[in-house]
Amino acid sequence: MILEALEREGVEYIFGYPGGANLPIYQHLPEHPKLRHILVRHEQGAAHMADGFARASGKPGVVFATSGPGALNLITGLCTAYMDSVPMVAITGQVPSTVVGRDAFQESDVIGATSSVTKHSYLVTKIDQLPRVIHEAFHIATTGRPGPVLIDICRDVQQADAERVTPERLEIPGYRLNGHVDLGQARQAAEALAGAERPVILAGHGVLLSHAERELQDLAEAAAAPTGTTLLGIGAFPVQHPLSLHMTGFMGTGWNLNAVQNADVLMMVGMRVDDRVTAKLAGFAPRVKTFIHVDIDGSEMGKNVRPHIELVADARQALAAMLPYVGELDQGRAEWLNQIDAWREEHPLRYKRSNGRLQPQDVLIDMYRRARSEAIVVADVGQNQIWAALWWNYDRPGLFINSGGAGTMGFALPAAIGAKFARPDVPVWCVAGEGGFVMTAQELSVAVEHQLDVKIVLLNNFSLGMVRQFQDDFYGGVRSQVDLTHMPDFVKLAEAYGLPAIRVDRLEDVAAAFDAAERTRGPFLIDFRIDPEANVYPIVPIGKSLNDFWESPES
Amino acid sequence: MSEKIRVLSVLVMDTPNTLTKVSGAIRRRGFHVRGISVGPSQEAGRFRITLQVDHGHAEADQVRKQLERLVEVVEVEDLTEDQVHSRELVVATVATSELEGLLRHGAKVLASGPRGTTLEFSGEREEVGEFVDELNRHGIVDVVRTGPVVMRRTA
Repeated sequence: MILEALEREGVEYIFGYPGGANLPIYQHLPEHPKLRHILVRHEQGAAHMADGFARASGKPGVVFATSGPGALNLITGLCTAYMDSVPMVAITGQVPSTVVGRDAFQESDVIGATSSVTKHSYLVTKIDQLPRVIHEAFHIATTGRPGPVLIDICRDVQQADAERVTPERLEIPGYRLNGHVDLGQARQAAEALAGAERPVILAGHGVLLSHAERELQDLAEAAAAPTGTTLLGIGAFPVQHPLSLHMTGFMGTGWNLNAVQNADVLMMVGMRVDDRVTAKLAGFAPRVKTFIHVDIDGSEMGKNVRPHIELVADARQALAAMLPYVGELDQGRAEWLNQIDAWREEHPLRYKRSNGRLQPQDVLIDMYRRARSEAIVVADVGQNQIWAALWWNYDRPGLFINSGGAGTMGFALPAAIGAKFARPDVPVWCVAGEGGFVMTAQELSVAVEHQLDVKIVLLNNFSLGMVRQFQDDFYGGVRSQVDLTHMPDFVKLAEAYGLPAIRVDRLEDVAAAFDAAERTRGPFLIDFRIDPEANVYPIVPIGKSLNDFWESPES
Repeated sequence: MSEKIRVLSVLVMDTPNTLTKVSGAIRRRGFHVRGISVGPSQEAGRFRITLQVDHGHAEADQVRKQLERLVEVVEVEDLTEDQVHSRELVVATVATSELEGLLRHGAKVLASGPRGTTLEFSGEREEVGEFVDELNRHGIVDVVRTGPVVMRRTA
């Protein structure tokens, strides 16, 4: 009955792991060949695969896990999806309803443990609840501000027989969708933007989730407003567009940060305005007279920055509603745009390349030269993530996937596997540091089992690079517990899992390594041994304002 | 009462997880429950929670907005600035038969016996406070108090 309901919801892939409390589901799985079940090697891997699948396909990712430790292993993955508003439905087995609350074998309070990292959750103790619950779960996961929904199903319910009831119309009194755009506010926002002297637009993940890239570009061009994105909003606005400010936030580009800090009207679309975007909140965008905030989640209004004009609405509809009100611009933008160009010249992205070591940026630049805008990059967390964000020119949506809000190390490999299942037609590159990679490296087996064309670019600097950089720069230069010299030989590790791999220490070998990766069908790993002292720049020191960013000491 | 306290009337679905979700959302956002009353509403399957919440450093409307995000929550009304009927209930046992002062407040005797007299009293927070002060003068054997129930004045 569960599996039929999943078929009705259009599910193709399930990432899961069987165990004592979900055996009845697995017993019937072979009867449903339309549901492709991917056996993971750890439940966290299942959650990240479903997440990567959802981000790459736009469809909800589906996860199975058993009770107790199985379900609890999902928590990091649920949290990752929750923070980044990714649609997911996790179905966990629970001990039989007759023993719930008696500390049965592998019993844990999964609803209690996951409540703060799910959009909603259900404990199903009676079979007649099930069709409604599954239908509601998919509806809630995929609509409004998307997010993970968990369904905890007691084992006896999984075994129960019931009439196959097609759920009737959904009625969820506590679930409201903000679709409606207030035209008065849209007009006010458009006029503020058009009348600005120094406008800036920042776009977040919400623009991608509502497919509002076209509307964003139209509005930015009509208002001649320079436009940047958050880390999760990368792809919402073409990086090579003349109005592009590239990435904002405390590791954003110098010209972006200067623009934000000098703007008089700042419109923030589909974003949470979190601390990584604002740096020191009191010093954020100090010259702004009018903050405009567009977000589908009303609780984002004033959570961090109090907007003067707010539109609680879907980004696409809000931006489309604003466009006709932009009209003729009152004043020229030449001065402002020239100023931004000057900042772009003055503060280009640059990196150290004088010490003869392999620089991560060189690796990424070569990779981009090959892939152009034809590949999906799934990054892990840390320096590798920011390098991958800044050194590729993402000109289309959906090409850059990373764990922005939760910052989950170990995300990249399983998420890349999920993305490849979703988009078998598109090359998928996994960019990871060695620290994050070993956290979920067991999922290599999944890539090998299914001969997935996932190319792994390991940026191996023998340390927890981002933490090391923070310790060097902001914590008295004390390098504490960041040394990762004792790691496996990654070429042998790959071979042990059954995929080919090569090691690269020198710039002149980078191209040949990528050639080999591209020639190989199926997964491939390149262990790039990069400069262990390579850093991420620009960076805003902890506790400082955006305009206090540091740049690379040499170029 | 500090100005950081919001008074909210929250209509919720009657599910086993509702109270956990409501209190969890409040805790997670750094807010603090200062008073709570829960009881059935006029609609079947829906309960009414009256909450007094300290919203700390967050903006005042964040409590309402965060509660509105919960699927278990049907409706949230912020009554902080409104004209309201607000009632708290106290039941107390005092070791005295000198009840005149207490009865003058409007208390009702529930039972009396050799070990004391049990009374109930309801009123606004300040009135309940004054009543408890009066009880203290008589020597309290036992006392229980509820959080407030609050309704917007319509008439």
